[in-house]
Amino acid sequence: MISETEHYTCIACPIGCPLRLEHEGNEIKEISGHSCNRGAKYAHQEFTDPRRALSTTVTISGSLWERLPVKTTGPILKNHVMEAAREIHRLRIDAPVQVGQVLIEDFMDEKGINVVACRSMPRITLISPGHRKHPSKKRQRVSNRQYNNRKTMHKTHDQ
Amino acid sequence: MLGRMEGKYDVVVVGGGPAGMGAAIGARDSGAERVLILDRSLEAGGILMQCIHSGFGLHYFKEELSGPEYAERFLEKVIDHDVDVFTDSYVSGIAIDSDGTKGVHVMNKEKGLFTVETRSVALAMGCRERTRGAIRIPGTRPSGILTAGLAQKLVNMRGYLPGKRIAILGSGDIGLIMARRLVLEGCEVVGVFEIMPYSNGLTRNVVQCLDDFGIPLHLSTSVAFIHGRDRLEKITVAPVDQDFRPDMSRASDIECDTLLLSIGLIPENELSQRLGIRLSVVTGGPWVSSTMETSMPGLFACGNVLHVHDLVDFVTRESLLAGQFAGEWAQGVRRPKDNIGLSPGDNLRYCLPHSLSPEREHTIYMRCKEAMKPCRIRVGNLMEKKLRFVVPAEMIMLKIKPDLLEKFHGETLRIDILPAEEGKDDI
Amino acid sequence: MYDVAIIGGGVVGCSIARELSRYSVGTVLLEKCSEVGFGTSKTNSGIIHAGHHSSPGTLKGQLVVRGNELFDTLHRDLNFGFKRIGELVVAQNEEDVAVLRKLKTQGEEKGVIGLEIWDQKRLQREEPNLSHTIISALYAPSAGVINPYEFAFALIENAVDNGVELKVESPVENIDIEKSGFVLNTPHEKIGAHFVLNCAGVFADKVTQMVGQDEFTIHPRKGEEYMLDKRLQGLVRRLIFPVPQKTTKGILIIPTFDGTIMVGPTAQDTDDRHDVSTSLDGSRRVFDSVRKICPSITTRDTITEFAGLRAVSNTNDFIIGTTKVKGFINVAGIQSPGLTASPAIAEYVCDILRAEGLSLEYRHDFMPYVPGPPRFATLNAEEQGQLIKKNPLFAKMVCRCELVTEAEVHNAIDHGARTLDGIKFRSRAGMGRCQGSFCTVRCMDILAERLGLPFHQITKRGGNSWIVSEMVNTQHPKVDKES
Repeated sequence: MISETEHYTCIACPIGCPLRLEHEGNEIKEISGHSCNRGAKYAHQEFTDPRRALSTTVTISGSLWERLPVKTTGPILKNHVMEAAREIHRLRIDAPVQVGQVLIEDFMDEKGINVVACRSMPRITLISPGHRKHPSKKRQRVSNRQYNNRKTMHKTHDQ
Repeated sequence: MLGRMEGKYDVVVVGGGPAGMGAAIGARDSGAERVLILDRSLEAGGILMQCIHSGFGLHYFKEELSGPEYAERFLEKVIDHDVDVFTDSYVSGIAIDSDGTKGVHVMNKEKGLFTVETRSVALAMGCRERTRGAIRIPGTRPSGILTAGLAQKLVNMRGYLPGKRIAILGSGDIGLIMARRLVLEGCEVVGVFEIMPYSNGLTRNVVQCLDDFGIPLHLSTSVAFIHGRDRLEKITVAPVDQDFRPDMSRASDIECDTLLLSIGLIPENELSQRLGIRLSVVTGGPWVSSTMETSMPGLFACGNVLHVHDLVDFVTRESLLAGQFAGEWAQGVRRPKDNIGLSPGDNLRYCLPHSLSPEREHTIYMRCKEAMKPCRIRVGNLMEKKLRFVVPAEMIMLKIKPDLLEKFHGETLRIDILPAEEGKDDI
Repeated sequence: MYDVAIIGGGVVGCSIARELSRYSVGTVLLEKCSEVGFGTSKTNSGIIHAGHHSSPGTLKGQLVVRGNELFDTLHRDLNFGFKRIGELVVAQNEEDVAVLRKLKTQGEEKGVIGLEIWDQKRLQREEPNLSHTIISALYAPSAGVINPYEFAFALIENAVDNGVELKVESPVENIDIEKSGFVLNTPHEKIGAHFVLNCAGVFADKVTQMVGQDEFTIHPRKGEEYMLDKRLQGLVRRLIFPVPQKTTKGILIIPTFDGTIMVGPTAQDTDDRHDVSTSLDGSRRVFDSVRKICPSITTRDTITEFAGLRAVSNTNDFIIGTTKVKGFINVAGIQSPGLTASPAIAEYVCDILRAEGLSLEYRHDFMPYVPGPPRFATLNAEEQGQLIKKNPLFAKMVCRCELVTEAEVHNAIDHGARTLDGIKFRSRAGMGRCQGSFCTVRCMDILAERLGLPFHQITKRGGNSWIVSEMVNTQHPKVDKES
């Protein structure tokens, strides 16, 4: 089996130790270059199961802004990231939305990793074409309290 | 908009981002009855609302949150603390009465031009981005050149792309974050160009925003010329020498339609300047005592307006404290004046606050000039602490207890960052 | 069929349009950019010269003093910003002092008023921030400053109010000469006119070639200017000139009408009629030169930089007159002091038209007056309160660097702004320290709402200067927000 080397920059702290991971196929032979244990762990993780958190925005209608920030609740496989983004971007959400609301469950077939809303967006009343009245803080305050107990949300999901 | 304006407020907070919200909460917790936040945007939350990436709250909440999530947590606290909030309201000035009452001049569509009377004020206006003009890139003036923060707002809040083929000048975190963001939205990012020989951003961001996507980072390189009549067409980049002058003999042209500028943040002190309060040339923000009070009695400052932070958790900590002191001041509490100056020594750009008092514990915030690893931080002759590393991109925080300060008999306490000595332990 | 077609909407074309609007003459102005003044005029230094720099033996020398005189009335009627702040030509050695005396004599010959030689003591008292190596200066009190784009906007607005037709984004591509007159072909339409005034600036020789003439050529000369941070306001109170060189008045310190200090321009001949780029070399020249006169200015004070092209003719003088082609009149080669001379040029051209047989009868309903744009930032609290009572949009701040309110942005659009630069040059939104980082989105929203365009079709200054493109996965509703 040929011995190969992967190079990583450790991200555990700003020192950014240059890490070397020697392996034969999937078998790790040696990890070097780290100045603390976190570096070794990082190299190991990057080689065996590299993962990344994903944050992006999706289309939302009926709210103050047209974009809703969303994120994955856990890191997904690194090489799934671009496809994951495309998948998330197909969402079409309708306000109101609550922070933490699950928009996609078991995302990319990863059990326990969901795509959730990163903020609440109350529904805005359209009072005339071309004008959107955003609720006064008072109304918004009440809405937030109401939504604390809401479990379901109204959403559309393009096939 | 919510809240009555008859009668005086105790504390008015200018800015409703994380610093403003922290100050308001700190003020209410100190016992101040009436606290008002004024924010010029449509909603509170400040810059956090467009920072949709994670990395906020690791220290404060022990969780990794996105900007909007962090903001929403604090907005809930603000509401629970019965703080009044006026959004879409611009503070155009602050006048001081002979009895010390401050009149905050506000403008908004509902009420026009009006004055809010208050006992104390906390400035929390945040910061702005450095622009092309400030670094003087020669060339034409096409559209397509914008700051990374403006691009972030357009992408994350409004759903528009700044362009399709994007170059980024400056390797600060905002630029790195936007590089990844734009790739995820289907753009081509041709490279990040940084004039220094090292990246200004966190290693984590270089790896996860650039390396992951094969975006090259060109160090010691600057943009020497901008081409394009109506819209940006290409940029000329060139390596720079030790004096940061471009070597045009090794210049090359890069086709792109967008140039994002991530070249530095400047505390937003237009209001502070108009008030004539003492500003620090190094931080760009107000001079403050250990109670976060500026040179004007009853006027406090916190957050990015005071000095540019990298962790919002520190902003929260700093602003809760500033709010506490602003709230106390409004209730008539006058802390004893600081009698120890604080001065940055070796390898330190600045220390905040600018003076101390042996009366209580202090949290000192500092930034180093150069990366050093390992090193030690020496506080006068009082204390020495070993540090694994310091880098300019990460603010240094240090707690100093009152019993330590009581031992100090000088006028100015000097803090140095020095190379580590072999075999020396913490004092 | 129009009586007169003016090609080119710079200050010259607009001045003539305004002058012609006094008369019952059917006039159309064709401008190739999205706004008037968006060629050389908006990059002009904005100086209203006293007139002592140019020799009385030239056409430019003859028209400049008359032009300067006319600015008081124009300012009163058209309400663009104008201030006679005075000018100092500074001397740093005895040779220079001799030039000062020559200039004084030349000026007095032409009727320039109030010229004085100042000694070092007086100079240091009046302008303490100038270098102490300056030994003497020639003071000209009648010199002033304007914002040249404001001037062009005010001129054309009054001209249009009085019946002139304005067509923007209408470059003249070729001209047909017919029995009845001229037919000017733009990409959109054909315009017929009896008289054609060639005010096409840097492209004037190209236009004259359209009627088969080639009696002059234009050699563009680029000038770079650098705007300095507002906190330097008051550093100098008057226009500061070095002793003039052969081809150029030199690199100046210009306290603009709004108070910001500007330094420049350079003078660099170029073949490229579209090259308005600034350069490292240009900035070095500017700052090396001004620092000799005012050492406290540094490059770190810059907030923005830009360049423009002077339309220099091969005779180095104005070329104003008829040609072999009857009815085609050149108003070309208008370089410095063209801005100052423009009102006089307008009178001169009307004289030529009269002589060529165009009947110029005064309109009884000519309205000379245009109210200036509201400037919230310059008013006191009471005046501001009154404005807000009339229009609550004055209470909504859009540009926090220059303190421009939403009402003023709407006002800019009311008066013709269709692009971000159109708003910028009319209201000042985007001209400050942050160079539009804060106000751009709001201005784009207002433009989109008023023009009924989707957000992403708003441009910086027309043409291909788009600002954003649509996100791939987004559907934006047709209505835009009231944010």
